[in-house]
Amino acid sequence: MSECHVTRERMPQLLLESIEGGERESSHLHIERCSECGREWSDLRETWATLGEVPEVPVPAGVRGRFLEAIGQRASGNVVVPFRARPAARWIAQAAAVALLVGSFFAGRALAPPSGELSPGQIVALEPVRLSGSQLIPASRLASEIDGTPRIENVRFAPDPSSGDIRLAFDLTSEVTVTGRPGDESLANLLAYVLERRESPSHSRSATIQWIRDNWSAGGKASPELARALASVLKNDTHEGVRLKAIDALKSLPPEASAATQTALIDALRNDPNPAVRLKAVEALANIANAGTPLDPAMLDTLRQKAAQDDENLYVRVRAAEALERIDL
Amino acid sequence: MKHLSDQELMKLLQDGDLTPAGEIFDRYSARIYNFSYRFLKSSEAAEDATQEVFVKMIRYAKQFHGEAKLSTWLFSIAANHCRDWLRKADNRNKESEETLLTLPAPGESSPERDMERKENEVRVQKALELLTPEQREAILLSRYQGLSYAEIAQIAGCSEGAVKTRVFRAMETLKKALTRQPAGGNECLNVM
Repeated sequence: MSECHVTRERMPQLLLESIEGGERESSHLHIERCSECGREWSDLRETWATLGEVPEVPVPAGVRGRFLEAIGQRASGNVVVPFRARPAARWIAQAAAVALLVGSFFAGRALAPPSGELSPGQIVALEPVRLSGSQLIPASRLASEIDGTPRIENVRFAPDPSSGDIRLAFDLTSEVTVTGRPGDESLANLLAYVLERRESPSHSRSATIQWIRDNWSAGGKASPELARALASVLKNDTHEGVRLKAIDALKSLPPEASAATQTALIDALRNDPNPAVRLKAVEALANIANAGTPLDPAMLDTLRQKAAQDDENLYVRVRAAEALERIDL
Repeated sequence: MKHLSDQELMKLLQDGDLTPAGEIFDRYSARIYNFSYRFLKSSEAAEDATQEVFVKMIRYAKQFHGEAKLSTWLFSIAANHCRDWLRKADNRNKESEETLLTLPAPGESSPERDMERKENEVRVQKALELLTPEQREAILLSRYQGLSYAEIAQIAGCSEGAVKTRVFRAMETLKKALTRQPAGGNECLNVM
């Protein structure tokens, strides 16, 4: 192995200053003598320094609160559930799976789909399928067979001394597929529910928002439920990234939802603690105004106020002023 | 609580007293969050990861025996979580995180400097994305968290030699992405 090779392999450790006496000295001596390794060392030091210029990102304030809240639930000792709040999507899936088990008892084989046509996870029922948080099912009403491979977790047993029955409780996870067309009210309600369950993982809400932005607006029919849910996300979600995506989705909603959108954006511009969200709200409001949508007077007031507000973030002020210039009053 | 060592705080947790949890969170959440943020390229996922790490810290407190530093143990949990997250196909191709989240407050510095800093951050983030998850993990722990190769090996579940190779290759990739390379070959590289 050449001296160059050995020295270069040691360079990351030289940068870390985690290499001991003799090896460090011989490496530096080689770097001084070998012009190629000297250049390599210089480039690596520059790279190392560039990496170090990246500022530390502050932990969003809500994270500590959510963690302590989880601790509080744990500390109370009266909740026999998984330690972390269960995601809403999984909760819906669990409830739907339970509903299916019950449904299969009532419906029997008359409602069963022809075998081989459907995957185990699909919901097929002629009766409306209700999604609910929990179900109490007598064992005698359970179908004898379990379809698919639902995951059963967190099993708890409790005797009922008065009846002699036992109670077997568990969390059930299975995949649920709901099919429908953009514009179906029930689908919109389901999406709105996912958005508004703040204990669900942020990436579930984020994916839902993305899907709404990419698909729902193309249907041309605004759902008041979805506009309201997105406005609620923008107002209340603790994840900045999710709030930013909510603005993108609100912008994409058809004109019927404009009033709700403007109200939500104005509120975000006035009150959101994150300058990036306020900045995006300004840009969204400017786009709405330039599209010829009737303007809410409160929107203009807010833009004027932000453009002149000394303690506002510089970027937000500049964008607000630019937006006012572009708006044809 | 502030005067207690990590080991003393963990002992309290192991005895069922949850009051030290907030203090431990305050000591390490910034490091865990930043590691997760740079690893996963998503502030949302980093928030979830940070919460998950500290929740698991409490759940598995009894498994902490004090042979390793608390920070190493917490980074092990964080790295496991991040690797699992990236393994999920849905997450792997998520778009890069928005880069406006760290906009400085007014009066902190000049707009030109802020813009330069922001551009630099984007460059670094894009360069980090060129690394394999294993290389990214190693470089984040080494450059930003100052961990030794032995500690990184413990976290990554590999040998120190493997860590050395990962950091070396990561630096080669980062150097190409972040420095202006002169045209032409390189004699020393040919020797290697």
